[in-house]
Amino acid sequence: MRHRRVILFSLFGVVIAVTVGLLLLWALGYSALEGYAYLLEYSLLSRTALFSTLSRAALLVLLGLSASTAFASGALNLGQSGQFLIGAMAATVFGLFVNLPAFLQIPLSLAVAALAGMLYASIAAFFRRRFNMNELIVTLMLNFVADYFTQFLIAGPLFEEGRQSPASPAINASGWFPVYKGFDTGILVALLAFILIYLLWNRSKTGYEWTIMGQNSIFSRIGGCPNEENFTKAMLVSGALAALAGALVIMGGIQHRFMPGIKANYADDGIMIAIVANNKVVATAIYAIMFAIMRTGAMGMELETGVPLEFVHVLTAITVLFVVASREYSQYLIDRFSAFLRARRISSRIEDYAGRDSSGSMD
Amino acid sequence: MGLWIEILRSSILAAIPIALASLGGAFTYYTDVFNVALEGMMLVGAFLAVIGSYFTGSWAMGLLVGALGGLVIGIIFALFAVYMGADHFVTGMALNMFAVGGTTFTLRRLFGIKGALVSSRIVGIPSWNIPLLSKIPVLREVISGHPFAVYIALLLIALSHYLLFRTKWGLRLRAVGEDAQVLDSLGVSSRRIKTLSILGSGILCGFGGAFLSLGYVALFAEGMTSGRGWIALSVINVSRGRPWGLLLVSLVFGFFEGLGMSLQGMGLAPQFPQMIPYIITIVAVYVYSRRERRVKAA
Repeated sequence: MRHRRVILFSLFGVVIAVTVGLLLLWALGYSALEGYAYLLEYSLLSRTALFSTLSRAALLVLLGLSASTAFASGALNLGQSGQFLIGAMAATVFGLFVNLPAFLQIPLSLAVAALAGMLYASIAAFFRRRFNMNELIVTLMLNFVADYFTQFLIAGPLFEEGRQSPASPAINASGWFPVYKGFDTGILVALLAFILIYLLWNRSKTGYEWTIMGQNSIFSRIGGCPNEENFTKAMLVSGALAALAGALVIMGGIQHRFMPGIKANYADDGIMIAIVANNKVVATAIYAIMFAIMRTGAMGMELETGVPLEFVHVLTAITVLFVVASREYSQYLIDRFSAFLRARRISSRIEDYAGRDSSGSMD
Repeated sequence: MGLWIEILRSSILAAIPIALASLGGAFTYYTDVFNVALEGMMLVGAFLAVIGSYFTGSWAMGLLVGALGGLVIGIIFALFAVYMGADHFVTGMALNMFAVGGTTFTLRRLFGIKGALVSSRIVGIPSWNIPLLSKIPVLREVISGHPFAVYIALLLIALSHYLLFRTKWGLRLRAVGEDAQVLDSLGVSSRRIKTLSILGSGILCGFGGAFLSLGYVALFAEGMTSGRGWIALSVINVSRGRPWGLLLVSLVFGFFEGLGMSLQGMGLAPQFPQMIPYIITIVAVYVYSRRERRVKAA
């Protein structure tokens, strides 16, 4: 019952957001419906479009799960973008200096990236546990450090001679994800990660303890859960997921090299996705696909109707606001209404009592 | 000597946007609103200030429009977080994204450009030589001749200190953070005060952003606030929202940013000096947490 209500109000929010998007496009003088039609056409209605939407969705699923795993267990990891970059860099370095057969190279490269992401996330986890430092700010600041550090690497030690702009050389081909008729097999990594994270949350002791800790950390501590350890675990899993997304960018696609700007808006989108999905695993995947459709389709929309693709950034932010507000405001209204009903029941009972006992024993 | 004066001068310039944003955040700090939208408010302020200056040819209009931009984000924040009961963190994050998306979108739409808007039509904030200050030997080289908004910022800090700690309104504002229900039971709307504090933080952050884009430089670049709103958040924590305290902490940040910029000219890879403000922020969080622990232990 409660789930149905949450889903209903989320859908309601999406409908509002789509409407607001239409109105906004219309107000700006674009043909709104046509724009939406192109958005869908360029994200779903051809094989290339569909596969590129899926590739993007794979990244967003990983980053969304990274954020939702952290948030739902009460760890405010906002370091997805840094962990993503470190993961991408680890995959790049591994791919440049190691050359094994593909069946070893690919899994090892992913493992190295995940490990690097964990390591990077563990800095904030360590500071939190050892010095009680707020992980929110530490992870955010480490994003900038990772950004500058990777920029330094591709402009200095890893710079490929002869290029105009900073970028690393391409990684060894054994580390590239095989592509079957346009389908990037890296997508399967995200699928696998999704299944594992789903099981972790719903079928494991750790997942159960995370849920309790996220809802009430004092309760979980008194109940005997090792909160400190669980916090670290959540940070590490979150970091590994973000880093895997980074590895996917390097090992999949066409370029296979670390270039400036590869992080795009993936990490921010991941955080938004986790927020609209209320940190639920399945909902995260669904919203990740929705965001991927919007992002991929936006390019087509720009091409055909001239709407700048940044429009989609605005639209996703508005969607998030409306979904969250409609979810929480409806909860608030329901709470108020039930409080009102309770108050009326109590007051009528008092009146009954006063009516029955009219002999004046009160006072 | 000349280099150090240069560093000190640039540290004042770098400190002011952070000081203004954290001053704004101080208001919400006292009303117990978890305001993570500082970054977005600053970004919108920086963007609209440039737009205002570009189209009107006046830096004053730029500042005004920038502050108004911050105010608008504040209004949305208050509407969602205070009146609709949405989670503060979530609302703030969504607004930050909205700021990033909105500014890049408008930049594309108005000028058809990506990246940065640089134009001779953007009028920056003029510098000011305050008669008295420019008479002091040595010190005048550091504190005189800044964009005049620096001095306005100092006034604002003094004013905020007075407002927060010497007026009835300030007392109520701080009381909201302590226990909002007590205020409501006494007939003072805690929601209204929370809303006002958010609007105030919006204006100040917008102003801080405007200073960044019109005082520090005269251009707008996508995402140019680059974490300053978050740095401001940790400045507030370290200084516990005390206006003069946060000015001091901001100056420390400004100093390291200025130092970083000077180091960039000295043959070091530019990326490492650029990391300095962020690493300093982590150090600041460390200092804060150590002190918290001492307070708890005492």
